[in-house]
Amino acid sequence: MPFSQYFRLIDVMARMALRADATRFFLGYIWWVLEPLLWVAVFYVVFVLILAMQKPDFLVFLMTGKLVFVWFSKSVTQASNSIVGSKGLVGKINVPKTLFPMAVVQEGLYRQIAVFALLFSFLLSAGYAVTSTWWYLVPVILVTYVVIVACAFVGACLVCLARDFIQLISLGMLFLMFTSGIFWDVRSLSDPHKTEMVMAMNPLAFIVDCYRQIMMHNTPPDMLHLLTIGAGFGALLCAMVLVMRHKSQYLALRALTA
Amino acid sequence: MSDNKKRVMIELDNVSLSYHSGKKTFDHGTHHVLNQVSLKLYEGETLGIIGRNGVGKTTLLQLMAGILAPTLGEVRVHPGKSASLLTLGLGFKPDLSGRDNALLAAMLQGATRKRAESFLDDIAEFSELGDSFNEPVKKYSSGMRSRLAFTTALMTHVDVLLIDEVLSVGDADFRGKAQVAMTNRVQGEQTVVFVSHMADQVKQMCNRVIWLDKGRIAAEGDSAEVVDAYTQHVTQARVDGTLQQTALQQQFEAKLQADPKLQAAVKQQIEAKLKADAQQQADTKQ
Repeated sequence: MPFSQYFRLIDVMARMALRADATRFFLGYIWWVLEPLLWVAVFYVVFVLILAMQKPDFLVFLMTGKLVFVWFSKSVTQASNSIVGSKGLVGKINVPKTLFPMAVVQEGLYRQIAVFALLFSFLLSAGYAVTSTWWYLVPVILVTYVVIVACAFVGACLVCLARDFIQLISLGMLFLMFTSGIFWDVRSLSDPHKTEMVMAMNPLAFIVDCYRQIMMHNTPPDMLHLLTIGAGFGALLCAMVLVMRHKSQYLALRALTA
Repeated sequence: MSDNKKRVMIELDNVSLSYHSGKKTFDHGTHHVLNQVSLKLYEGETLGIIGRNGVGKTTLLQLMAGILAPTLGEVRVHPGKSASLLTLGLGFKPDLSGRDNALLAAMLQGATRKRAESFLDDIAEFSELGDSFNEPVKKYSSGMRSRLAFTTALMTHVDVLLIDEVLSVGDADFRGKAQVAMTNRVQGEQTVVFVSHMADQVKQMCNRVIWLDKGRIAAEGDSAEVVDAYTQHVTQARVDGTLQQTALQQQFEAKLQADPKLQAAVKQQIEAKLKADAQQQADTKQ
């Protein structure tokens, strides 16, 4: 399949899924912003009203982390089911298997644009200013995307091999949510070595911290660390493309019969 | 034989396909779908594949289309030729409209978006779906689904057309229309593999027929001969099945007459069943 056709198909499949999703719900496209807004409302009730968190701007801190994490977790979880879930098509046509997780990731990307718009306006209304440091968001978003695609490919293949991985992936997401500093600040750990270790071991914790540093503290991220993550996951992504191309028919057989 | 002069489009050389199902229901968990199947598909011919459900017909088409790879043996497709599998259902996404599904199907088969869009009006017209064409497929009746699937399939143009049971559906009117359209398509230069368990259809449309049984080729050759042999086999199997059932019934009746204990047990069961039915009826009335 030519490159142009491949990318056009991803775009068409993602748009169609979004449209189908919008027609399924009474509120349609409003859910794009309503869902993250409801997240914020839940955080507000739990952390500000009930737990009475004293830390200033805790809501902004939470939103930044959670909304980035939801982008990752939702995309990867849904993409993991994508080949098995498209069994009907997989059994009838020989297309690159990366197409299915890619379409899901693309759908997530389109949704995330609305989420980022909401996040930015929330930050602005909370008194944060857009500075030139915000340009660093471009490489950070790019690296997040590469991480999501690589993990989506790995997840989609694993679920083809055994459906049991669906359970493990959801559990893994929960584990990641608690270890990536979504509800707590990685930098506030009592031992600075521990902070370093968490950031080095968990790329997601580092990425979430990058968004906060740029948008809340006007500080550029550690570019070398960011590029290392980008290059590592980029290499994983390329390897997965090769594996999925080479094992396309095997994946189809597993998706159809397992 | 003229077949020797014709170009071979697809060749299956001693092809077997088995997979590990993970459940110990088959040979130590291994399910053998096809077993050492060899065949050649020549340019321009219509090859029929006939057999009962579950003998590996669809898998054979999936191998030819390159969707699956054989466990053993080799599938050779003439370089530069494409084979596409047309089948009912087409992997519809139920939340998408008929229009979107048709567009997606055409694009997945290699059409550009513009070209795929140019098919849509024809598809809407031929499938007679009217306004429902823009409704989600999940709201379709099974007849509407198959009309959409058949029409979408009809519009694609490939070197080798692999057709899986597409003509066995829809109401009588649409079936007639579909049969005419398919016959037009099959005649001429199009190379076709046609899978069905409907003997008459295969006899009518195919030059050559392969009868597949339990993953192996049971017979191959002239369509009338093979189809007749297959029909005879199926009829015989049915007669054998009925005879076997009658014999079992007679055996049981003889045993029942000779054994008073068995009579009492059967009587008890019948009474219990009647009581349960009466109770259920009373509950429904309430």
